[in-house]
Amino acid sequence: MTIVIFGGNGDLAHRKLLPALYNLHVDGLLPPRIAIAGVGRKDTPDAAYREFAKDGITKFSRRPIDEQAWQTFAAMLFFVKASLDGEQVLAPLGARLDIIEHERGLPGDRIYYFALPPALFVPTVKQLDRARFVNRTGDPVARLIVEKPIGRDLDSARAVNDAIAGVFDERQIYRIDHYLGKETVQNILVMRFANSIFEPLFNQKYVDHVQITVAEEEGVGTRAGYYEQAGALRDMVQNHMLQLVALVAMEPPHALDADVIRDEKLEVLESLRPIEGAAIDANVVRAQYAAGFDLGKPVPGYREEQGVDPCSRTETFVALQIFIDNWRWAGVPFFLRTGKRLPKRASEISVHLKEVPPILFNANPAARLDPNVLSVRIQPDEGFSLGISSKLPGPHVRVYPVKMDFHYGSTFGGSSPEAYERLLLDVIAGDPTLFMRRDAVEAAWRWVMPILERWAETTTDSLPAYPAGDWGPVEAGQLVESTGRRWRAL
Amino acid sequence: MASAVADRAWRQSTPERIEPDLAALWRDLARPDQPIARAVMSNLVVFCSPTDADHADAGAITVPLGLNDVAALHPSRLIVLEHEPGRRTPDAPFAAGVGIITFGPPHARYGVELIVVRSACAEASLPSIVRRFVRGDLPTTVWWTEDLSTTSPLDALVTMGRQLLYDSRRWDDLRRGVSALAPLVAGRRVDLADLNWRRLSPLRQALEHAAGPAGSTSRHEVTVRIVHRRGEAALAWLLAASLLATRDHAAGAAPEIEESQDDDAVLSVVIRHGTGETTATLTSHSVVVAQGSAPPFVVGVPIASEGDAVAAELRTLSHDSRLDDAIDALARWFAVA
Repeated sequence: MTIVIFGGNGDLAHRKLLPALYNLHVDGLLPPRIAIAGVGRKDTPDAAYREFAKDGITKFSRRPIDEQAWQTFAAMLFFVKASLDGEQVLAPLGARLDIIEHERGLPGDRIYYFALPPALFVPTVKQLDRARFVNRTGDPVARLIVEKPIGRDLDSARAVNDAIAGVFDERQIYRIDHYLGKETVQNILVMRFANSIFEPLFNQKYVDHVQITVAEEEGVGTRAGYYEQAGALRDMVQNHMLQLVALVAMEPPHALDADVIRDEKLEVLESLRPIEGAAIDANVVRAQYAAGFDLGKPVPGYREEQGVDPCSRTETFVALQIFIDNWRWAGVPFFLRTGKRLPKRASEISVHLKEVPPILFNANPAARLDPNVLSVRIQPDEGFSLGISSKLPGPHVRVYPVKMDFHYGSTFGGSSPEAYERLLLDVIAGDPTLFMRRDAVEAAWRWVMPILERWAETTTDSLPAYPAGDWGPVEAGQLVESTGRRWRAL
Repeated sequence: MASAVADRAWRQSTPERIEPDLAALWRDLARPDQPIARAVMSNLVVFCSPTDADHADAGAITVPLGLNDVAALHPSRLIVLEHEPGRRTPDAPFAAGVGIITFGPPHARYGVELIVVRSACAEASLPSIVRRFVRGDLPTTVWWTEDLSTTSPLDALVTMGRQLLYDSRRWDDLRRGVSALAPLVAGRRVDLADLNWRRLSPLRQALEHAAGPAGSTSRHEVTVRIVHRRGEAALAWLLAASLLATRDHAAGAAPEIEESQDDDAVLSVVIRHGTGETTATLTSHSVVVAQGSAPPFVVGVPIASEGDAVAAELRTLSHDSRLDDAIDALARWFAVA
């Protein structure tokens, strides 16, 4: 197997891909015969590329570098210079890969990883086609990994998917959403379908509402160029968050087969109630962070960030109330919020069960009991907890909210594999379960398009703001409070 | 009785690395043959002045503050904020450390998280520091370990919690202490919990029992005279306020309060109402109440450490309106006097 990383000397390869491959190597999970070839425009000798990889592993790997393991890993690493401009530009890459594979006795099975800006997806896939790198028969194996975002709207997503589909068969395409590789996200299915206590409760009869929060403490940083064109809805909601909604809300699949699971997730996406017209203003809040504080330090507002248009209307925060119009979830609101420069990095799904009747221990209207909440902490502090009411020890009956807490770190010890480790391993094994299928990507785009279109039309009203370090604008609070609920504090 | 600390894991950290370093400590502590559970029922933000002590281990922080007992009785995420007030420049904390205090036998270990941050920044910086570390889905108490009559509570910090915990016994200046709390009481912005007030509970309950159901609605003129041990002036004033606050007393009807020369009783109170008189004496172990010719009755005073008292307050989720009323009454008296 040869893993060919386009954008091999880029940030993603440095921070994520090479450390992930190194950890898979240390764990003995890579195939015994493998080569990893970084591809990029810069002329980089293999030795220099190995140093680049070592630096990334030293800084970003979940475990410290082991010199012996590193030596064997480094021997698998190569770099090939290639440009995408012109005809047959990948021929030298093909020649070099042939040599590497021949020398190492590799059969020519390849994984092509597009760690590239989205604008280069289509040109690169066309070059792969021109160079006849791809065989749809699957012998030798040719697989493609594409990073999100797939397009910036439905039309462009279709264009990218069409271009890729012209070269690769759908079963050869792995659209990566690294959220889906996280242990805790995978655990959602285990928690729901391997425990008889939870699944019977996951429906409109018992669930009052669901909240999903993906909070980042960082600002836009060095990604202003990308983020100005994207915004929180495209960057987070269209992909990560709707995937989380699908996992929480899907019906039990009849098998742990990739397409069975992905069919069930698609069902959820297709059952999302469209938000259109005036309903968008009532159910979707967007905002930008203003100047504030990050862990005590003053930080600028979004429009003052380097590379950001001082008149930018790009949203750094979005909150939504959505509904899934199917039998299971009829009438249950799902509240989603995501944003930059929030108080802390925290991703969590919380399932809020209905209140107990207002009698017995819940009889005092001034001191209602906290409803039970099942919360799945995706990152950091991975685990899940169930909030329950318990009697405080002592002679009086006093009720106190306590948590039954499962915490990965203190339960299993050791460090969990990074999402990219799991996902790369799945591609090597040919298992697409945790990857997005074309129909799901396009269904998600189809659902967010009315919101994007309305926002594009509405350019005169002022955008709500929230101070950096706060949990979003007051309008986001009102969105939930108008239904008699409130955002869960994290 | 609090469980004994089994172990303390500790590592120096930086403000940005606190959560990853805590996670690493948990991973280090987790062993397949000896599971460990994380225990957390609330957040306890402990505000204190910077110390010169080198934080070489968790014990150097938890022992002087009595946090081991609190953690054992009411496991909380302990966030110790060593803050130097009065600065005008916003900034990040300049040092940090993390620890896990473990309890229980090897087959049933549980651990409590400890975060220590040292800061010298403007008050405006504090919310973003504290918000980063509290678990928002749990009740948060801010424990003001300093004398808040000299180090005023920082509004931005105090109002982040559900409850402000303090000990009026530490107050150097009663009037300034009351005046620092008055705005919080007026706005009902936070639940107050005074460890000193808690010490009055047996006495207040005994007096309520003595007064009977009609006591609180009596229309008789009431006078109160309290004699207290040295260092217990705050307790005496709180008692006076609790006795008179609900009686719609005029500002001029302030009680007589004196310091005693002998140390036998913590305080004693004489309440005259109409022709009747009630005398109550609080000692470290009992309350004795005498009324007219009836034989005196005695109420026991629970033996409680500061850790017991703090843990008990952390468990209290309701608003103590009587404490608010007492502080409000004291504020009115002091404003007139």
